[in-house]
Amino acid sequence: MTGADMVLEALEREGVECIFGYPGGANLPIYQHLPKHPKLRHVLVRHEQGAAHMADGYARASGKAGVCFATSGPGALNLVTGLATAFMDSVPVVAITGQVNSNVVGRDAFQESDVIGCTTPVTKHSYLVTHIEDLPGAIKEAFHIATTGRPGPVLIDICKDVQQAVGEFHYPDHVQLAGYKPTYRGNPIQVRRAAEALAEAHRPVILAGHGVILSHAEEELLELAEATATPVGTTLLGVGAFPVKHPLALHMTGFMGTGWCLRAVQSADLVMMVGMRVDDRVTAKLTDFAPEAETFIHVDIDPAEIGKNVRPHIPIVGDAKHVLRDLIPQLQTPRHDRTAWLTQIDAWREEHPLRYTRSNGHLQPQEVLIDMYRRCRDEAIVVADVGQNQIWAALWWNYSRPGLFINSGGAGTMGFAFPAAVGAKFARPELPVWCVAGEGGFVMTAQELSVAVEHNLDIKVVLLNNFSLGMVRQFQDDFYGGVRSEIDLTQMPDFVKLAEAYGLTGIRVSSAGEIAGAFDRAERTPGPVIIDFRIDPEANVYPIVPLGMGLQDFWEAPYDA
Amino acid sequence: MTLSRGPNSNGKLRVLSVVVEDHPGVLARVSGLIRRRGFNIDALSVGPTDRAGRSRMTLTVDAGHAEVDQVGKQLHKLVEVIKVTDLTDEPVTSRELVLVRVGATGQRREAVMQAIEHLGGRTLDIGRDAITVELAADADAIEGFVELLRPYGVKEVARSGPVAMRRNPRR
Repeated sequence: MTGADMVLEALEREGVECIFGYPGGANLPIYQHLPKHPKLRHVLVRHEQGAAHMADGYARASGKAGVCFATSGPGALNLVTGLATAFMDSVPVVAITGQVNSNVVGRDAFQESDVIGCTTPVTKHSYLVTHIEDLPGAIKEAFHIATTGRPGPVLIDICKDVQQAVGEFHYPDHVQLAGYKPTYRGNPIQVRRAAEALAEAHRPVILAGHGVILSHAEEELLELAEATATPVGTTLLGVGAFPVKHPLALHMTGFMGTGWCLRAVQSADLVMMVGMRVDDRVTAKLTDFAPEAETFIHVDIDPAEIGKNVRPHIPIVGDAKHVLRDLIPQLQTPRHDRTAWLTQIDAWREEHPLRYTRSNGHLQPQEVLIDMYRRCRDEAIVVADVGQNQIWAALWWNYSRPGLFINSGGAGTMGFAFPAAVGAKFARPELPVWCVAGEGGFVMTAQELSVAVEHNLDIKVVLLNNFSLGMVRQFQDDFYGGVRSEIDLTQMPDFVKLAEAYGLTGIRVSSAGEIAGAFDRAERTPGPVIIDFRIDPEANVYPIVPLGMGLQDFWEAPYDA
Repeated sequence: MTLSRGPNSNGKLRVLSVVVEDHPGVLARVSGLIRRRGFNIDALSVGPTDRAGRSRMTLTVDAGHAEVDQVGKQLHKLVEVIKVTDLTDEPVTSRELVLVRVGATGQRREAVMQAIEHLGGRTLDIGRDAITVELAADADAIEGFVELLRPYGVKEVARSGPVAMRRNPRR
C-alpha cells in the first residue's frame, strides 16, 4: 500500500467523513488516491485558512476531530492562523500537510518551509514523517492526542516520497505514549473538600467554561447548581453550558459580561471555576478579581491552567464531567440559607439589565439578533466572528443548551465565522446555521462563499455592517484618547452585488421595519444568503469593563432618552 | 541546590531535570516553550539516560518558584516529555565540566600548572603559548576555578552546564 493510501485508509478507520483541503505539489499523491475513497467527502476550499477554520467549525459542531489538508510551504503556512484558533479554544483538529521529499528537507527546496517549526507553538503536537513505517502510528497517535485530554490541533507533515513509497499497512489498535496520560478523575480528597466548601459558603458562584461543553457536563452542572442553589455564569466559550433563562443563570461573565454576573462574582465568598482557563478577559484586573472570595475551587483537565492566573484553594485536575459526577453524590445541604444571596442577585438582574439605544433612528444590531432568536430559538447554530458582533451574538441570544454558539474566543480570529459556519453545516446539516459577522471580518475569508454555493449550504449570513471596525472604534473612543484612527471601512463591496457575483442571494436591510421581511425571505431561500444589515455606526458593546480596571468597574449602556 | 548566576542571568536560578523521548525536534520543543513563556535558559545539558530512547535534559532557568512551577507544568504538556523534576530545593549532587584555555608561556608555565594541580584541575593539552585544562565540579567551584586562573590569562572557557541527580537518602 502506498503512503497516500495509508493516510486515506487511516482516516476512514478513524471515522472521518469530511475533509477540508487544497491540493498542491507536495500532497498530490494523496489527491491521486483520494477518488478511490468515496467514503471520504472532500471539500475543496478557496484558501487554506478556510480549510483550517472549516475543520475547526466541523469539530465544534460535531464533537469529532475536524480534518484539513494542505500542501507544503505557503499551503501549510496558510493553516497557521486556523491552527492557532483551534489551539487557543481546545478544538480537536488534525491537519495533514505535504512536505517536500525527505532527501531535500532542509535544503530550501521549492515550496519548502519548516512547517513543524512554524506550528509547534500553536499545536498540541506534531509529526514530521520521513519514513513510511512511521506513518500509520503517527496518524493513530494524532487522532488520539487531538481528541483526548484537553483537545487541540495536531499536525502531520508527510514528505512526498513517503506518500509515494510502498509499505505494509498495520494500523495500531491503541497508542502507547509514556509522556501523555490525561487525568479525567479528580482527586477524591479535593472533590470532598469542594463539596464541603460549597455547603459552607454563604455567597457561592460557579463559572463554567468551554470544558463543560467539551466534556458534555451540562446536565451535571445543572444538577450541581440546583442542588446547592448556586448561581452560574459562563465564559464566552462556555455560553450555552447553562440555560440563560434559568433562575440561577448569571449569563456571561468577564470583561463584557452582564452587570448582574459581575456584581455576583465580585461579591461571592466562593467562586468555583469549571473547565476554563481563567484568562485576562475573565478576570479583568487580576488583583481585583472576586475580592470577597475566601475560597476558589478550580476544576480543569489541564494542570497547567490551575494556578496560572488565580491560585485556587481547592485545585481539581480532571475533566468537568467526571469531576462533577463524583462531586454530586457528596453534595450537602447548604449550611447557610441562600435566599438572601439569590434575592440580591435578582435585584442586580433588575438593576443592571442588558439594554441598548433604541431612539436614534438607526438600525440597532440588538434588534436584529432579538428577531433572529425569536425565529430560531434553540434550533440553530450561531457562528459569530470577532468583535462587537461576537459579543452581541453571545449576549442577545438566550442559549439554552451547549454547542449552538461557536466563536473564536481565545485567539479572536477575524474571518473565522464564515468558514467555521461552513464546517458546522457539514457537521450538522439538519440544523439551520447562522453566521453573524461584521463586514471587516467577513471580507477576510469571503472567498469561501464559493464553497457554500457549490455545496448549496443553507447558511444565512447576518452581516452587521457598520462601515467601520466597530470594536476598534469603540476602544479608540473610550480608551485611546478618542482618536479615531484607521477604522473607516466605507470603501467596501456592495454586499448584495457581492452575493450575486458569487451566485447567492443578497438582501439589504437599513431599518428595523425591514428585519422580519428580510429574515422571512432568507429562510424561504434555499442555500446561502447574505443579509447586509446597515446598522448604527455608533452602536457599542455594553457592559464593558474599561481596560486595566476591575470587574466591578463595568460601564453600562447609557439610558435612552 | 544553589547555583551562581551566569553572565546573562538576572534573577534566581532554578534547575529542572526533564526526561524526554529521544526524538528529533524534542530539544526545539522544550527550548521553544521556555522562550515562549518568557524565561531565559541559563544552562542546558542533554544526554542519554540508562534507558534506550530516553534522554535527560538538565535545564537551568532564570525564574521564581511559581513561574517555574508553571514552566514545569507546561513542559509536562509536551507529549514527548515524560518526567519533570524541579531540583532547586532538593539536596542534589551536581557536576559541571569546564574546559579552560589559559596562557602559559615561558617561566609562567610552571606556576600555572602548579595552580591547576592545586585547584584540582587536570591538564589535557599543552601548546606553545597555552594549556587547556578541565575541571568537573559544582557550579560554584567552577566559577572559583576560572576566577583563580584569570590572572594567568584565560583565553577561552567552555562550560557544559550542570547535570544533576537527587542525593541518595542517608537513612
